[in-house]
Amino acid sequence: MLEVERLCSFYGRAQILHDVGFAIAPGSVAVLLGRNGAGKSTVLKSLIGLVPPRAGRIRFQTADIAGLPPHRIARAGIGYVPEERRVFADLTVAENLETGRHPPRPGLAPWTQARLFALFPALAELRRRPAGRMSGGEQQMLAIARTLMGNPRLVLLDEPGEGLAPLMLRQIEQAVRALRDEGVSLLIAEQGPAFARAVADQVLVMEKGAIVWSGSQAALAADAPARQRYLAP
Amino acid sequence: MHGFFFLQLLTGLATAAQLFLLAAGLTVIFGVTRVVNFAHGSLYMLGAYLGYSLITRAPPTPVGFALGALATAAIVAALGAALEIGLLRRLYRAPDLFQLLATFAVALMAEDLTQRVWGAEDLALPRPGFLAAAVRIGAARFPLYDLVLIGLGPAVYLALLALFRTTRWGVLVRAATADRDMLACLGVDQRWLFTGVFALGAGLAGLGGALGLPDATATLQMGFSSVTDAFVVVVVGGLGSLSGAALASLLIGLLQAFGIALVPRSTLVLVFVVMAVALVLRPHGLLGRVPDETGRAAMPDLIRPATPALRALALAALLAALALPFVAGPFLLSVATEALIALLFAASLHLMMGPGGMASFGHAAWFGLGAYGAALAALALRAPLPLALVMGMLLAGAVAALFGLVVVRLAGVYLAMLTLAFAQIVWAGAMQFGEISGGDNGLLGVWPPRWLGGPVGFYFLALALCVGGALVLRRALQAPFGYALRGARDAPQRAAAIGLDITRLRWAAFTLAGAAAGLAGALFAFAKGSVFPTYLGLGRSVDALLMVLLGGIGTMSGPFVGAVVYTGLYDALLLATDAWRLVLGAAIVAMVLLFPQGIAGAAARRVRA
Ligand SMILES: Nc1ncnc2c1ncn2[C@@H]1O[C@H](COP(=O)(O)OP(=O)(O)OP(=O)(O)O)[C@@H](O)[C@H]1O
Ligand SMILES: [Mg+2]
Repeated sequence: MLEVERLCSFYGRAQILHDVGFAIAPGSVAVLLGRNGAGKSTVLKSLIGLVPPRAGRIRFQTADIAGLPPHRIARAGIGYVPEERRVFADLTVAENLETGRHPPRPGLAPWTQARLFALFPALAELRRRPAGRMSGGEQQMLAIARTLMGNPRLVLLDEPGEGLAPLMLRQIEQAVRALRDEGVSLLIAEQGPAFARAVADQVLVMEKGAIVWSGSQAALAADAPARQRYLAP
Repeated sequence: MHGFFFLQLLTGLATAAQLFLLAAGLTVIFGVTRVVNFAHGSLYMLGAYLGYSLITRAPPTPVGFALGALATAAIVAALGAALEIGLLRRLYRAPDLFQLLATFAVALMAEDLTQRVWGAEDLALPRPGFLAAAVRIGAARFPLYDLVLIGLGPAVYLALLALFRTTRWGVLVRAATADRDMLACLGVDQRWLFTGVFALGAGLAGLGGALGLPDATATLQMGFSSVTDAFVVVVVGGLGSLSGAALASLLIGLLQAFGIALVPRSTLVLVFVVMAVALVLRPHGLLGRVPDETGRAAMPDLIRPATPALRALALAALLAALALPFVAGPFLLSVATEALIALLFAASLHLMMGPGGMASFGHAAWFGLGAYGAALAALALRAPLPLALVMGMLLAGAVAALFGLVVVRLAGVYLAMLTLAFAQIVWAGAMQFGEISGGDNGLLGVWPPRWLGGPVGFYFLALALCVGGALVLRRALQAPFGYALRGARDAPQRAAAIGLDITRLRWAAFTLAGAAAGLAGALFAFAKGSVFPTYLGLGRSVDALLMVLLGGIGTMSGPFVGAVVYTGLYDALLLATDAWRLVLGAAIVAMVLLFPQGIAGAAARRVRA
């Protein structure tokens, strides 16, 4: 599905990512862990093309997408939900969903507004509300739903649980499981291991712009020194 | 009295409808692309000319007229799309001054090309019966066509609202207005969205130009005059707000109608007062929002004390300037005198625009006020030359100080537009109040006294005052005042936190710049022996802008280089070709695309690298 090799990204002259490499299998969930500033968001931004990588390869399905503009990468089937959510504040929920709409893809059940409202029932009642006047959790759901309207095969989620109340968090978690059951792959960036524990097939740990540990959820749970070294606050 | 009121109301509504058609496209384009399209007036002008050609060829019936106007809108829309693809697409992330400059250049070229295609004569549409028809209102007759316009304005407004609210395209456009990058991440290719928006805005301008034909003639001047009107409407309404533009059109249209009827000469002042009051109360316009400046390049800034090499170069230039009168003929000497005056003029704008961070599109106001002040002092008060120069400078400085109270709180494009509008109003005032200013004929016979020793003496006077003045400005920038000013520009919050009074700083810079430009204008009056309203005109404001940008806004030597290169280029062009607007426009476009940092800026980078 996705293979990343020796990816290097920069902000201006500052190199942020150093030879990042990993792979994601179809229909699986990978979680990217790391402390503040480890470079998780930058990995996602490099994948979607917001921060075009200076070196390295990104293979998505059969195409090399490194260096393409974001809209081409999105159309190729990668969805991106940014850390700040970035819903269009003046647009209503329904209009926000419309901005993400793209034709269905073979082999995936197409997302419609109706199916998304079933996935996030809270949104259904807010259909006509401007996104700027919704709570953080509702905006997070909308941001995910908006991305799904494009029928992506791989979804990049940047800290979907950040700042959410436990109840909201559980809803997002359920949505992530539902997505995986649909056959959508996910790459989720998170600071703490809590969210990952619930859903991850694979865990990638980052520090200073490089992947320093990878393995299964169970392996991370057993490796106390690694957790201490890379993840303890 | 009732009849009078009703008639003025209708006249005002018709004016408002036309203003809205003119301004709607500008505000739509700005709202989405953040480009202030100076060429909008040219698209409107093209609408008028093309509309003339098409409508006069169509059958003289209402249907023929409507089809002609629609075809015009379609053609102008296509031209707008071409403009976006060919030029603006490359400039979206550039500082907004460069977009203004590039579109200004397009306006210059458009004027030249229009003259080549349609000739210099004004074109008046013949008025078949249906256009000449009128309805009786009380004792007066009101044109039927204006009633149609009164209906069309709101119809277009509602159609646009529906387009943005209900269509997928409209939703995407509104999303792009809010967050372009996010929209791209959702798989939308915004380039075509922007092209579409540009086509829409241009099409509206074209439609407005064609629909304006029955009430006005197509003239070559309408490009620049209409863009000023459009700016006023859009700035008062709030940049990017369609409803704001509608509201402002209504306000200004009605004010003009009643203003003209009650106090015939009040309109100019009225419009300005409306704008000033609106912007003081609401600095982002009636319905505007605080602009989001993310993703936009800041102006490069390379201000430092001169290096030894630069000092040596400057000294050599000064020596050459001192020696010039002994080798040059009268023509070269007069060009050199003008270049010196241009230098001071450019340096004064640079102070405002570079370190002050206040882009002015109406810097000619101060230049012209200085010229008129000096000329009136010399002619009416018989003041000797030194006193006349001082009076010119004081007049410009005093008006700048007053006007500065209103505008220095504004930012970016709003300030640029307001200064532009102010200059246009002073210009129109000079045309209108002929008893004082001589109107179109200007003021003649403003010669330097004999004791100065003819052109050579005057050259030395200009050399002393202009180079001296420019050096004083330069010195001020290296003094604490200059640092504080730049601090206020780059980090206003921090500057305010350490106790700098930002408004006062900017006001002082504005006043100083106005006075220096006034001195340049006063000298210019004596250099030419006369003063004309063109000294106040848009063309001269743009000269100053070009000199500053040509030299590079972020360098202190920029205005020096820019003034000399520009004056030379301009005189050479004017002599060599009658297509100077075309050539100048093309040169500006090339410069904006190739040297976004100006000549001196590019040289400084070369040296540093
Ligand atoms: N726009 C930017 N310009 C320059 N440097 C940046 C920019 N964004 C992030 N950085 C730097 O890049 C590094 C990685 O940042 P990134 O946002 O990818 O980290 P992160 O792992 O997502 O952190 P967090 O958990 O806080 O979201 C940090 O050192 C950060 O300071
Ligand atoms: Mg992050």
